[in-house]
Parts: sequence; structure tokens; C-alpha cells
Amino acid sequence: MDFSLLLDPYILTEVLVQGFVRGAMYALMAAGLSLIFGIMGVKNFGHGELFMLGAYAMFFVTVVLGWPWPVGIAVAAVALFIFGMLLERTLIDTLRRKAGRDWVLDAFILTIGILVVLQNLALILFGTSRRGVTSLIDGVLVWGPVIVSYERLMILGVASLVGLSLWAFIRFSSLGKAIRAASQNPEAAQTLGIDIRLIYTVTFGIGAALAGLAGGLLISIYPAHPTVGFEPVIKSLACVILGGLGNVPGAILAALLLGVIEAYSAFFMSAGWQNVITAGLVVLILIVRPSGLFSSSKVERA
Amino acid sequence: MGLEVKNIVAGYTREVPILNGVNLTAQDGRVTVILGPNGAGKSTLLKTIYGYLTPQEGEVLHDGKRIQDLKPNQMLGEGIAYLLQGHSVFPRMTVEENLELGGWIMRGDQKRMQTALDFVYARFPRLREKRSFLAGILSGGEQRMLEIARLTMTGPRTILLDEPSVGLMPSLVDEVYEEISKLKDERYTILMVDQNVRKSMSIADYVYALALGENRYEGPREEMEKKLDDIVREWI
Amino acid sequence: MTAIPARARDANPWRSTPVRVLKVLFLIGLLIFIPPLIDNPYITRIFISAVMLGVMAAIFDLMIGYAGLINFGYAGFLAVGAYTSALGTFHFQVSPWAGLLTGGLATALIGLATGVISLRLRGLYVALLTFFVGESIRFALSNSPEFTRGMLGLSVRPLPELLGFDFSRGNILAYYYLLLLLGGAIMLLLTWLVRSRFGLAFEAIREDQLATQSLGLNTTKYKLYNFTIASFLAGVMGAFYASYLGILSPSPEEFGVYRTVEILTITYVGGRGTLWGSIFAAFLLIGLQEYFRGLGPWRLVIYGSLLIFVMLFARRGLAGFKKYLW
Ligand SMILES: Nc1ncnc2c1ncn2[C@@H]1O[C@H](COP(=O)(O)OP(=O)(O)O)[C@@H](O)[C@H]1O
Ligand SMILES: [Mg+2]
Repeated sequence: MDFSLLLDPYILTEVLVQGFVRGAMYALMAAGLSLIFGIMGVKNFGHGELFMLGAYAMFFVTVVLGWPWPVGIAVAAVALFIFGMLLERTLIDTLRRKAGRDWVLDAFILTIGILVVLQNLALILFGTSRRGVTSLIDGVLVWGPVIVSYERLMILGVASLVGLSLWAFIRFSSLGKAIRAASQNPEAAQTLGIDIRLIYTVTFGIGAALAGLAGGLLISIYPAHPTVGFEPVIKSLACVILGGLGNVPGAILAALLLGVIEAYSAFFMSAGWQNVITAGLVVLILIVRPSGLFSSSKVERA
Repeated sequence: MGLEVKNIVAGYTREVPILNGVNLTAQDGRVTVILGPNGAGKSTLLKTIYGYLTPQEGEVLHDGKRIQDLKPNQMLGEGIAYLLQGHSVFPRMTVEENLELGGWIMRGDQKRMQTALDFVYARFPRLREKRSFLAGILSGGEQRMLEIARLTMTGPRTILLDEPSVGLMPSLVDEVYEEISKLKDERYTILMVDQNVRKSMSIADYVYALALGENRYEGPREEMEKKLDDIVREWI
Repeated sequence: MTAIPARARDANPWRSTPVRVLKVLFLIGLLIFIPPLIDNPYITRIFISAVMLGVMAAIFDLMIGYAGLINFGYAGFLAVGAYTSALGTFHFQVSPWAGLLTGGLATALIGLATGVISLRLRGLYVALLTFFVGESIRFALSNSPEFTRGMLGLSVRPLPELLGFDFSRGNILAYYYLLLLLGGAIMLLLTWLVRSRFGLAFEAIREDQLATQSLGLNTTKYKLYNFTIASFLAGVMGAFYASYLGILSPSPEEFGVYRTVEILTITYVGGRGTLWGSIFAAFLLIGLQEYFRGLGPWRLVIYGSLLIFVMLFARRGLAGFKKYLW
């Protein structure tokens, strides 16, 4: 193994860009997962299936209908927003009224049921074949020794834009403030006239929209197929734990870190051992620091 | 008018009612105090009035309107504000954000919101100074002031207070009672529960004593003050 | 808790003790005699699957239903039992009979270790931790092909003849009866366990750890007992599974999240905290699965829907219907 290769500017940018693209996907997924967990206490194991549905929506709009890719991404996000709200209102909300103290665990089990149903419905409807596109945008940016495809720049750009909008929404909009209030003290939020059920539904919708958007955005790298959501959900779950359950900025940071680390370690080891290391790392964190890597820092929990 | 509670039976599960037929009236513009030993059901009564618990029997009327089918988040719209027992600021939001959330139901009306904020800041200058601090880093007394200030943002008619002075240093207790007296002078209808029997009696107009989820004694302040020793003795 | 109406409880002759004993004997009779009487390997395999998964689900229930500890890496634990036994035979010529024990012991060790590292955690955190433990095991197995043959699949020798019984692969009835003995013993052990003082301690863990600790009960100790015993039994079942199946591969369907979900569904459909419910649920679910085999993925849709249904509308699972059926 020649370590000096990693300092080569070409390889370095390649690794970093690849790492950030992966990290962006994990971050979009992890942000939604973490938001949903932080506010509702639901660890959505079916989050990967929402990613999968987003990928199919993207394929349908851009390939079957032949519409431009920005429309596809928007459709994937909006469709999943609506679908997520429906899921919440019909299933999770029903469970909330039945489950008592075991709510967190029961909700987790419920989302497993949702996962199994969605994944197999997709298998029935769409079959096992992979449906993707080779690229949404052609061309590469050449800048000195740095060569990056426009496609990847677009992915990074859209993901950053979405991340910023999410942050601004939670920080400044009145609905965003109500969401934060509900996560910090749900009972007090209700005394101020905040409809907590609506907050839960919207929150789940937002999380689902982020997953759907990720699925659509990355269609050229992860073509749609029924189990495409498995890896993203496992990895983003890991990021959520690493960042501290319910800590959205922590999860995003962990996601970018994990993406880059994976891209780097791909030089040394197979994807299989990478998975062992990720899983081992999560176990370690859960043992020594269940509140996550960044819990002591002053990051605000959205 | 005011707030009327008629023969309420309610609890956390169907099988074990905590309130077994409580009757109570909080007169318009008066301070009504509920006394009772720990576990008597005082908080449970306030939660039932506010719609957190659905009564199995009985009625709750606010200014003559039945409100027991409403949800907690609809109560402020009916003009009833509620100070929960314990801490209820949003600790990781600023003081100003906390106050703005107090005005959540009028969020569409920027002008009204600003007027309410100005009014609250004029009354609690300390909150204006600390408007951009996170509420979680305020002192216990300041947090309680913020909670009280937040209650008044929308100008409700009726205010429910659950243990407003509990856990505060004696000097701060006086401060809280001063604020409540001011609210009284402003003719809010106040229904209050507090551990601090003497203090709360001192501003009360009418007093109820609950025991085991039922009315035990009631009467105007002067009358109840005479009985007070008997009442308190029963608790021990 | 919904109050059980006092009427019709003792009066009903259908529920008197002698009749109950008869009902149990009848069911045991069905288990023993149906497969040989029908004498169709396909049916026998269905019975094996149902009993095997039912017992695995009952063991899972010891953790989730009685102590509130969810082992979401359960399939990884089964894999430890299966692979310990199979690799012992493959590399070191250990008898597969001894493998039932070594498989159990190795898994018990993993269970103990997992118990130790999850001591401070509760509820969902235990689920997440065990999930990643299970996945680590599975990834490690699939990434060491030189030792485990990884995804290529490890072939496992059938059990050697014992006491004159022939356990060659063609003779699946022998495997079935072995499973009945093994599973029966495990079920009796579990039943005894939850009725003993252990059961009370487990329940205390589930209800509220803090309150339990303040009562002076050493929850730590009982949590470890629970995890270790359950893991030992899971390992034994894993080892049996390896010998019966003849080929192992660390795929998600076999030893990953899908297998865990399958078993978890059986436990939940059977009803949390009802060991025997798992057996009934296994027959119901495996039966449905076989009946709908032609439907392909639809049967998994049915599985998932059933899990959702149980979570939302039949929260005590089949146990909730016991009064109508039993
Ligand atoms: N969330 C709850 N769930 C179940 N029981 C409760 C709950 N909160 C209070 N209780 C019970 O209701 C009774 C009355 O409590 P509470 O209304 O808080 O009394 P008080 O405010 O008068 O001290 C007590 O016996 C208490 O244990
Ligand atoms: Mg109280």
C-alpha cells in the first residue's frame, strides 16, 4: 500500500468528493431519522423504504415521463412528504393512542412491519430489476488537477441547499419553532395552542420527504430496486447513534464523517470489512457514550 | 360566569378515577385557590379542566360554554391559559422565542404579536434584557417569570396556575406572588393550586379544600382562614 | 389492562383441569403422529420449520416478553450457534452432537458479553446495540471466506447415527423427533424459568428498572441471566438448524435482519409474554406462508401486515384470543 497516493491531488479530490456524496446521502437520511426520533420518539426502521420509493418516483418522472430532473427530485420529495404524513396519521398515530410506556419500542416494531410491507409491495409492483439512469447531467469540471463530474457537484449542491433550508425552516419559521418547542416540552407546547398531533404528522412528513429526496437525488448511483434502502438506512441509523439520538446537527456531522472515512478506507479494505468497522464503532459508542459523539458540544438539538 | 366545574369524575385509567365528583366555581375576575394534601388530585383537576384528561362524568363550563370535549391546544383559543406544574420553559430556545410561542395562536398577526411583546417587556424589563439568552440558562426565578409572562401573551381571560411558587427561594416566592397580585388587579380570573397555604390564602377571594378527589371544605377567604388550622391538621 | 369478566371462567367445563390436560395431550398427539401418518417429506419439513421457529420465537420472548429486552440481532446469535457447531465439525472434527453443546456455549458467551455491554442501556438502545452486534457477527462471517466459506456457503455434515437412529439427510423424521425432544425440553425449561423467582425478577426489569433497583433486586444480575440463558438456548437451536439444513450462508435472509423480523413477528403474533403462544403463532404463520407459497412476495406482505395489525389492534397477539379458542 502506497500511502503517498492519498496525497496525490487527483486521488485526494476523488476520495473527498466521493466521501461527501456518500456523506450527503447519509446526512439527508440521518437528518430525517434524527428529527423524527428527537420529536416523536420513533426510530423509523422503514426509512430506507421511503428512500426506495423516492428513487422509483424519480425514475418514473425522469425516465418514464421524460421530464427534467429537477421536477423528478421535487416530485420525489413532495410525494414522500404526503405519503409520510399518511403513514403517520393512519398507523403511528393509532399506535400512539394504544401504546403506553413501551411506546418507543413498539413504534420501532411497527416501523419494521411497515418496512416489510413496503419492500415486498415494491417487489410485486416493480420486480427485482434495477431502474436507474446513467447520469442526470453530463460533463465534468476540470480545474487544474481536479476533475469532478457535474453530476456529483449537483448532488452536493442540492443536498447542501436542502440542508440549509431545513435548518432555516426549523430555526426561523413559526412552524419550525413549534416543532422545536414540541420536542423540548410537548405538554407545555400544547398549553400554548400548538396542535401536537399535527406537529408529529408534519415532522414525519418532513423526514419522509428528505428520504424521498435522497432516493431521487442519488438515482444515478443507487438505481431503484426493492432493497435499495437497506444500506442507507443501516448507515444513517449508525450516524444517528454516533451523532446522539435526536441530535440533528450531530447526525449530519457524523454522516459526512462516515462518508469520507468510508471513501478513504475503501483504499485499504473491502466494503464488507468497512461494514464490520462501522457496526463495531456504533457498538463501541453505545457502550461508552450512549449520548453520542457530540453530546457535550453546544450544538443545538433541533 | 367564569369557570365552572360540575360533578367531575376523571382519572388516568377508567378503572381508577382520581376525581370522584368535584364541584367548583372560579368567579370572574377573582382568585380562587384550591388547597389539599399531596395526591389529593389538585393537578389532576387542572389537567381535566384543560382537556388533558377526558372526564367520565360531569361538565366543565367556561363563560357558560361547555369545554370538556376540547383538546388542550384549543383552550388558549377559548381564553384559558395554564401554568403547568414544574418547569415549562423551552430551555434550548431564547427568551424571545419562548414569548413568541406564547403568542403562537396569533402568529399570523405580526402587529398584535409585537404589541404583546412590547407589553410583556414593559412589565418584565429583565426579560427584555435577556431576550436573546437561551431560557435554559436563566435562574429559576427568571424562568418562572418567563412562564408567567408567556401566559399573558394572548390576553386570556382565565389563568390556571399549578404550584407557581414551588421550588423557589423565599425572596423569589414573594416576587411571584407580587406578579400574581398584579394579575388579580388586572381582573384576570385565576384558579390556583399552591403548597404555600398562607401566601396563597392571602391573595385568595374564595378557597376550596380537596381531599381524596372530593370537595372537603369551601368558603370565602375570611371564613376559611378561621378553619385553616383544622384543615391543615387533617392532612397530617 | 382490560378486566376479564369473572363469569364463564370457572363454570365452563371446557376449561376444567381434566379437559385442559386432554386438550394438551391431544395437541402433543397431533405433533407426534401427524408427520409419520401423512408420511410426506414436504409436510414433515413444514412441521420442522414451525416447531423450530416457534421455539426460537419462545426464546426470543424470554427476552422481550418477560424482561423487556429486545435482541434485535437475534439471527446473528443463531448464526453463532450454527457456525460454531458446523465449523467445529468442518475444521476440527468435533462431533455434531457435541456441536449442539458447543454452539450453545459459544452463543451464551456472546450473549453474556452483549449483556455486559448493554447493562446501562434500556429499551430501544438495547435493540440498536444488539442489532449492530448481530450485524457485526454476520459481516464477520461473510468476510472470512477462508474460514467460513462466506457467501459461498458452508456445507454441514448430517448428525451421525446415535443409539441406532439414523440421521442421514433423507431421514427427516428422525430430525423431526429430535427437534420435538430438544424443543420440548427447551419449552419446559423456559416455562419453569418464568414461573420461578427468575420470572418475577425478569418482570421487575421490564416494568421499571429504577424502582426494581431501589427495592434491592439486583437487576444487573438477572439481566445477564436472561440474556445468557436465552443466548445459550438460541445457540443450541442454531446448531440444530445447521445440522438439519446442511448448508449455511450469512445472508440477511438466513442470519440477518429478515430472519430476526420473521422470528419477532412470530413472537408478537403469539403474544408477548406467552411462551406457548409462539408455537401456535409459528404454525399459523408457517402454515399461511406455505399455503400462499404461490403468491411469492405477497406472503411477506401478509407477514408485515400481520405484525402491524398485532401492534395496532391485537396487542396481546393470539393470547388475546385465547378465551375464544382454548
Ligand atoms: N400521570 C399519572 N398517571 C397515573 N396516575 C397519576 C398520574 N399523575 C398523578 N397520578 C395519581 O393521581 C393522584 C393525584 O395526583 P395529583 O393530581 O398530581 O395530586 P396533587 O396535585 O393534588 O398533589 C395521585 O394518587 C397520583 O399518584
Ligand atoms: Mg400537583
